[in-house]
Amino acid sequence: MTPPDAPLLEVASISISFGGLRAVREFSLALGRGSLSGLIGPNGAGKTTVFNLLTGVYQPDAGTIRLAGRSLPGLRPHEIAHAGLARTFQNIRLFPDLSVLDNVRIACHLRARHTLAGALLRSPLHLLEERGMLRRARELLGIFGLDDRRDEYARNLPYGDQRRLEIARAMATEPKVILLDEPAAGMNPQETRELAGLVRRIRTDFSLTVLLIEHDMGFVMDLCESITVLDYGQVIAHGPPAAIQRDPKVIEAYLGAPAAVEGGVPA
Amino acid sequence: MTRVAPQLDDGPAAWRFVPRNLAPLGAALGLALLMHFVFQPAAGSFASKLALDIAVNIILAVSLTMVNGFTGQFSMGTAGFMAVGGYAAAAVTYYGSFRLYGSPNPPAGILSAFGDPTGLPLPWLQSGDLMFVAACLFGGLVAAGAGYIVGLPSLRLRGDYLAIVTLGFGEIVRVVLQTSERRLSNAEQIAGTPWPKLLTHLGGSLGFTSIPYFTTLFWVWLAAVLTLVVAYRMKRSSYGRAFLSIREDEVAAEAMGVCTTKFKVRAFVISSFFAGVAGALIAHQVQSINAGELGFQRSFDVIIMVVLGGMGSISGAVLAAGVLTVLPELLRFMADYRMVVYALALIVMMIVRPQGLFGVREVWEVGPFRRRAAGSGAPGGGAT
Repeated sequence: MTPPDAPLLEVASISISFGGLRAVREFSLALGRGSLSGLIGPNGAGKTTVFNLLTGVYQPDAGTIRLAGRSLPGLRPHEIAHAGLARTFQNIRLFPDLSVLDNVRIACHLRARHTLAGALLRSPLHLLEERGMLRRARELLGIFGLDDRRDEYARNLPYGDQRRLEIARAMATEPKVILLDEPAAGMNPQETRELAGLVRRIRTDFSLTVLLIEHDMGFVMDLCESITVLDYGQVIAHGPPAAIQRDPKVIEAYLGAPAAVEGGVPA
Repeated sequence: MTRVAPQLDDGPAAWRFVPRNLAPLGAALGLALLMHFVFQPAAGSFASKLALDIAVNIILAVSLTMVNGFTGQFSMGTAGFMAVGGYAAAAVTYYGSFRLYGSPNPPAGILSAFGDPTGLPLPWLQSGDLMFVAACLFGGLVAAGAGYIVGLPSLRLRGDYLAIVTLGFGEIVRVVLQTSERRLSNAEQIAGTPWPKLLTHLGGSLGFTSIPYFTTLFWVWLAAVLTLVVAYRMKRSSYGRAFLSIREDEVAAEAMGVCTTKFKVRAFVISSFFAGVAGALIAHQVQSINAGELGFQRSFDVIIMVVLGGMGSISGAVLAAGVLTVLPELLRFMADYRMVVYALALIVMMIVRPQGLFGVREVWEVGPFRRRAAGSGAPGGGAT
């Protein structure tokens, strides 16, 4: 087993190329248990590709990824979900023609122990676990303020609700680490503030480790304890928000060389 | 809230496990007996044959709904699995009759009796009926095995590969069965041939003929209701939701811990089982089965039912199976034009309601029948 102070998720110099494009180069990251970190960078920097590498959608060409001591590369996405790494998607990927409740209950399934035969025969264990899933799903929906809308089709929800439903669904897999891909995209300032509160709350209540990608700098700087900046597939800076805001390489990546600066520091 | 461990005190009473399963079995038996003893004598032979075809089509449409409707894969292999199941079952009853009873006429009870059963002094069931039931299950299992072999490689891939592979599978089945050896009819020769060898004598291009008659309204409706129970329980369970998630978004389903390949293969194998049973039932009604008649056209008939009923709607598939079995008969007065009208009806349907009659929902979840039981998971969104 890993020592208690070892990082929960440890990524060591992973790389992937698509044809001639080296989308991610020597990316490394260590997330401590219960930490809340951000991954930022200009468009096309490779942030989502990093998420796809972590969750098994892509396999890294090189490097190692360890979750609580277990090596992840080579596992398929559903196996990584079982191992305790959940994610949301940048371009929302809910199950649109299923109810809000069913969206969350589907993610509960991976912890179910009853068999398909048990489900067909309505075995006691099946009914017991179905009740557990229903209760758990409704608790999660309650936390995310969606319990009233549980019978609606996911596709009929407003955009902000869909984003929150994605997080609720990922939470239902009972993850150790959750990866949020632009959770605040398309939200208004009020919703964004509420979301920050929610992320803090689930981190504390579920002793979760959170890594998020976000373009809303106010949100990231306010919420995250440490930030990793990616540009052209490479880590160009890593540290607490205050240091990142002053880092000249970060400013250059976002705004270009100093001569071109007009709008000031991104904040 | 922490991780929810199931609490034993709020668990459902374990003793209800037995009645929970006997109830649908009883309902199936009840309806089957009703069809056999009440409907059949009252409705006459033409309507009875139609009711028999409806039940068979219900089994087929619901079985295909499990793949095309639940998991969103596109299988065109129904006819192939029917052929596999039908031939397998026919081989069992035909050669089994010779082996067990020494004649091609196995003893049958009232439930399988030909013609008006009330006038015959027969017991309800005889050993031949048990052989028939075993043969149907065997046909289903062989079809399920074929489904596993076909599905395992092709369901790993995303997209339309399954359609192509199943289409090819149907053709392979047809060619293999049509090149099988002639059916043996000499009792001594059959007695002296080992079983594995007998299974190569399936009638060749003439089809497998002289299959004993067993399939009555009782058996088809029993099978149809049991198929419905399985499909409905599957859909309304954690596994069913996992099947549906694959149709909705395969990438997201994987990310939420659903092993999409495993679930697709599961759905495909179960679906193949029921298609095989349907093939077995037809074989013992028509008393012959010919792979040449079970081409992809037959698969399309079933696909139309599933699409018309609404992809994923079990009750929609049942309704479509009923309507599409009866419609060609109702249009008979139009003589040569009836298939044109039939086709037009389908085209209009696809323009007006491209998602099928009920979409994903069940009949009682739509319009005035809609109920919003708390936490039932029945989507209450507006019609689209």
